[in-house]
Amino acid sequence: MTALDGIDLSVEAGEFVAIVGASGSGKSTLLHILGSVDQPTAGKVLIDGMDIASLNQKQSAVFRRRKVGIIYQFYNLIPTLTVEKNIQMPLLLDKKKINREYFDQIVTALGIADKLQALPSQLSGGQQQRAAIARALIYRPAILLADEPTGNLDQKNSKEIMDMLSLSNRNLKQTILLITHDEKAALTADRIITIEDGRIVSDMRR
Amino acid sequence: MWKAYSAGYIKQNRAVCASVRAAALIAALFLSFLCGLFYNFWQDNIANVTEEEGPWHGRITAEIDEQEISMIRSLEHVKSVTVKEGMPGEDGTVVDIIFDPVRSIVTEMPLITETLGLEEGDASYHYQLLSLYFVRIPGDEYPRLVMPFYLAIIVLVCISMLLVIYNAFAFTMHTRVHQFGIFASVGATPAQIRICLLQEAFRMTIWPILVGILMGVVLCRGVMAAIVKMAEQIVGGRSAEFMYPPYLMGCTLVLSATTVLIAAWIPAKKMSRMTPLEAIREGEEIHLTRRKHSLIMSLLFGLEGELAGNFLKAQKRAFRTATLSLTLSFMGFMLVQCFFTLSDISTEETYFARYQDVWDIMVTVQDTGIDQVRQNDVEALRKLTGVEDVAVYQKAEAVCKMPEDWASGELMTLGGLEALTDGSVISAQGIYTVKAPIVVLDDESFRQYYEQFGTGNKTDWSRGEGGTEFLEGTVVINRVWDSLHSNFRDRQYISFVQENQEKITLDGADSDKRLTEVPILAYVKKTPVLREEYADYALIQVMSQSYWETITALKSGAERDTYIRILTDEDISIEQLSELEKKAEQILGGSYDIESENRLQEKVRNDEMIAGYKYILGGFCVLLAIIGIANVFSNTLGFLRIRRREVARYLSVGLTPGGVGKVFALEAVVIASRPMLITLPIIIVLMGMMIKASYLNPMVFIRRAPVSQMLLFMAAIYVSVAAAYYLGGKKVLGCNISETLREDFV
Repeated sequence: MTALDGIDLSVEAGEFVAIVGASGSGKSTLLHILGSVDQPTAGKVLIDGMDIASLNQKQSAVFRRRKVGIIYQFYNLIPTLTVEKNIQMPLLLDKKKINREYFDQIVTALGIADKLQALPSQLSGGQQQRAAIARALIYRPAILLADEPTGNLDQKNSKEIMDMLSLSNRNLKQTILLITHDEKAALTADRIITIEDGRIVSDMRR
Repeated sequence: MWKAYSAGYIKQNRAVCASVRAAALIAALFLSFLCGLFYNFWQDNIANVTEEEGPWHGRITAEIDEQEISMIRSLEHVKSVTVKEGMPGEDGTVVDIIFDPVRSIVTEMPLITETLGLEEGDASYHYQLLSLYFVRIPGDEYPRLVMPFYLAIIVLVCISMLLVIYNAFAFTMHTRVHQFGIFASVGATPAQIRICLLQEAFRMTIWPILVGILMGVVLCRGVMAAIVKMAEQIVGGRSAEFMYPPYLMGCTLVLSATTVLIAAWIPAKKMSRMTPLEAIREGEEIHLTRRKHSLIMSLLFGLEGELAGNFLKAQKRAFRTATLSLTLSFMGFMLVQCFFTLSDISTEETYFARYQDVWDIMVTVQDTGIDQVRQNDVEALRKLTGVEDVAVYQKAEAVCKMPEDWASGELMTLGGLEALTDGSVISAQGIYTVKAPIVVLDDESFRQYYEQFGTGNKTDWSRGEGGTEFLEGTVVINRVWDSLHSNFRDRQYISFVQENQEKITLDGADSDKRLTEVPILAYVKKTPVLREEYADYALIQVMSQSYWETITALKSGAERDTYIRILTDEDISIEQLSELEKKAEQILGGSYDIESENRLQEKVRNDEMIAGYKYILGGFCVLLAIIGIANVFSNTLGFLRIRRREVARYLSVGLTPGGVGKVFALEAVVIASRPMLITLPIIIVLMGMMIKASYLNPMVFIRRAPVSQMLLFMAAIYVSVAAAYYLGGKKVLGCNISETLREDFV
């Protein structure tokens, strides 16, 4: 089993990149490596000049906390914490003070201000994904990594989520890497990269 | 489904199945042990009643001829008929009938009386024996609770075992709700799922049940042997033979298997009722149904504390068996340790310590008056090497009519005997009727006792039949317990009477109105050095044997036995004392029916008995703890998939592996500490109440509190839970986060 192979990719700061490809092409592996959730067996992953492949476990964790926001298809919220605590988690882990104004701004924009005291299991899929996005944004990371964020949502919710990502990219100048099967979603991005068996077969700027 | 799924599951998930197996083993062990014990008690009860009152079930007492007896014999359920002519106190012929089955007495006895034209009063039933066979005859008004008590205990144990096993099953099944959801989604019927789960339950528990039953039999045999050994040492104790017939084993097997299957059936039924989607969604997630705040954990340990606290709340059901078993085991263990420590202190203070310098060997000469104990034998005892003192004494009951104005000033200041006895002794027309137990000492011992108070009031010694000198009269122990200002453990005494009378009038305890006037030789506070507890608020009398023989009016109150108290050198060893006891038995055994005890041996026996109880009860507690620990292991090792997903989420948002380790450590500490935190306040309150009730100095208990045993038990729980978390945590942390996060479930 080869998960990704000869990839050679560079992304500029502030770019909104969609990565598309068939199942098993290595999209998610790429995203996990970029998010330092997974370690490459060979090669380098440079973010702001820092090779994240050489980080130890603790450094990786701190990197994930501060530098990237990851959004998963299945939200991956902590089921035993309230939505509010879930969103604040990266800051709480760093023992940082919550910027109430920014927090309110995010949750209001994402339409979950009235769901903060609920548990994830008490929210709909769309609401959970909004909470996951809020968590990814709370630390104002330079990079947002989204793994099929709309894969589990209906059309209306999918569109709203994609609009929010676009907005975030434009307003906060965040670099976004979006992994998706959804062509419509991919078209929201400035650049669409197609991967096949761990190789880039197409790199199209719009 | 069994072959396709369950067999493999059991094989690959040994840790998850371990708690079920452990619970089934313990349940079978408990049930087998209790069934065996109660069966033996039941048989012993039957033997006891039969021995004392005969084996008959129904009895006819009437003028009855041979033909009528033949008619009784011919009845279908009459097993045997015994005819007894001329039984004392009975008019006519007594016919004892035994029925088989016993229950048929209910219909056949009325039939017999009706056919023979007898009156209702001519037929009698052996109610007590019949109740032991669960046959209750209408008209028997006495509450016969032995068998209902045994059955109630067994039912209670069944229910508690059922709960423990139910939790273990519910947990193992819950871990696979998702998988059964998938089965249901591809077409498995609820019945198939139920049968599969029950089949699994049967396969998982059959061996533990069999082994548990055998262990129960062995345990029961051991306990019975200990009981029999103890009973044989008690005067009048009966010996009993251990029985565990095959049909009892069959019953135990059915009982254990039914308990286990009911425990499995409940969660299996619940699970089979879920829709596939419910099952698929339910199984994979750990979630809270309501928002919880782990406030303390959060305040003390930050976010990791909150995560640990919330996880445990979400998993409350899964950890229920562990919490219940560990709490019960710790509580049981601590109660046993504390109770025996308390009892130990109490026994030592009230018995061994109090009597340390009072007796070394006690010989009870049965059915023998003090006058029948030969002086030569007593002298022989006194001459034995190592013997310091020998006192021969007999006790007798008597009462004294004590005028109020004879009571001491101290007593009356406190409110008289009414105040001290809380109204149980009251003055009637200015006279108290108080107990005046008499201690009759052999002349030599009496002389020694009397002379320690100086010359006393009397010096005119008389000469008795054996040539010994004696004084005519009684020594009055002039003291009464001031129960208003002291407790039974640390009694303070005040004077009972004014020391102004020269005679006391004693009355035989059997109220035959034979009053006897006895001269008072002296009023003293000190009782003779004997191993005796005297009745509270009694005016004790001490007399010499020779004088006692002259006052025949009081003899009816004399006890049947005479006692010989032997004191030896202070530093005597247990071996020397046992040797001396043997010699005493040799001197007395030939002439009298005796029983002897020695203080050191009794202390050893008492210690052994307490240690035996501690081992048996402690063993149960350890077994309960094993169930709990097995449940913790099955939780940490069985929830790996769900735990990996959860940990992957923590890690993906930036929690470090150290942070995850902290979460695990906190969970382990909470699981292991919970039983102690629940138990210790209860134990402290209970012990406080017991210490207060027994008027023990709390410091005496605190100094001997079973702290080391408690710490050892706690350490064992902490180490076991830590080991379970270490093994589980190692596996969880070794997972690939990206792989785990990718696993989907809908």
